[in-house]
Amino acid sequence: MFRAPFSFRAAQLRALTDEALMERIDDADAQAFEVIFDRHGGAAFSLAYRMCGRRSAAEDIVQETFLSLWRRGGRYERARGSVRSWVLGAVQNKAIDSFRHQAATAGRDVSDDQALEELAAPNLTDGEADRRAEASQIRAALGHLPTDQRRVIELAYFGGFTHVEIADMLELPAGTVKGRMRLGLIKLRLSLGDLRSAAGGVR
Amino acid sequence: MSCGDAAAYVLGALETGEAERYRRHLDRCPACRDEVAGMQRVTDALSMAVPQYRLPSGLRRRTLRAIRPQSRRATPVRVAIMAAAVAASLIVAITFARMTGPAGPTAQVRIGGARAELTVRHLPSPAPGRVYEVWLERPNAAPAPTGALFRVNAAGAADVTVRGELRGVREILVTEEPAGGSRVPTSRPVIVAPTN
Repeated sequence: MFRAPFSFRAAQLRALTDEALMERIDDADAQAFEVIFDRHGGAAFSLAYRMCGRRSAAEDIVQETFLSLWRRGGRYERARGSVRSWVLGAVQNKAIDSFRHQAATAGRDVSDDQALEELAAPNLTDGEADRRAEASQIRAALGHLPTDQRRVIELAYFGGFTHVEIADMLELPAGTVKGRMRLGLIKLRLSLGDLRSAAGGVR
Repeated sequence: MSCGDAAAYVLGALETGEAERYRRHLDRCPACRDEVAGMQRVTDALSMAVPQYRLPSGLRRRTLRAIRPQSRRATPVRVAIMAAAVAASLIVAITFARMTGPAGPTAQVRIGGARAELTVRHLPSPAPGRVYEVWLERPNAAPAPTGALFRVNAAGAADVTVRGELRGVREILVTEEPAGGSRVPTSRPVIVAPTN
């Protein structure tokens, strides 16, 4: 969807990189925060929803993630890579915290309470297109993994379970789960390596 | 001994103690650091590989509203617990603010032994000549004053240490009081943080 710029300054901000915007957020620039939210809010919500299965819980997690980004300003972990990685990492941590808290109290509710509109073809910036390409590559590679490897990866990453919990759940010996995670991730990493060299024109 | 845990680590699948040990191991082991970096590319891509949804209406507006400091409000910030990490000798309750109104103050409480650390953000300044005061509320008793008085900076932030016996405390309250504090609360709380 085309978004009409509502002011010259907003248009200027939308032209900036995430890193430049984060510097402005460090100076409490609410408009810069808005641009960052628009760039990454959808991906954050989609991940939170995949993990929680509940719209209201996913919304809380997204809001907390971005409030924490606002409070941290430029002190987000640059070492971890892009702003997108930081945001999605924070979503993942908060979702897992909420699972562990719920597990300690009432058990997990995974009902899907409201219909959501799935995005068919989002409009893409260049950086976004690269990320989407990696994501679809991973999705395909995940589909090709042996089921036992895919299962432990999904239980850990999207389900927030530890390797000990997964071993209990699947009645596997200790160590086996870690081994499957390792084999699976190595294969997935190789699939990304292919993409990177293809994108770089290596034949 | 920890070499080989990179996959479980980047998937967040190590137990708490293991993850701590592995992080220390990473400080000493460049090979594992490289492995973790390579695998983090995979988890970053995994988190993008889920079905993509349009943001629910209202979430953007609520989030943007929450970052703007606003005028004083009458209803307290209800603080709900998000996560609790319990060490053997400490009760650590990490609480996180939930927005209840148009403004966006947030508060976080960490309790350990005989002290609590209260982290407040986006709270409006108290009126001139007044301060915020922290209270401990136990069941069937009037809120007890703590001597913790504070003001917030221009951004509405304050980090407050509350000392005192915290056992049996059900809620930590913050009210606005005349400078010097009061012995009983004289206004409605602006923050209510349950401790369990």
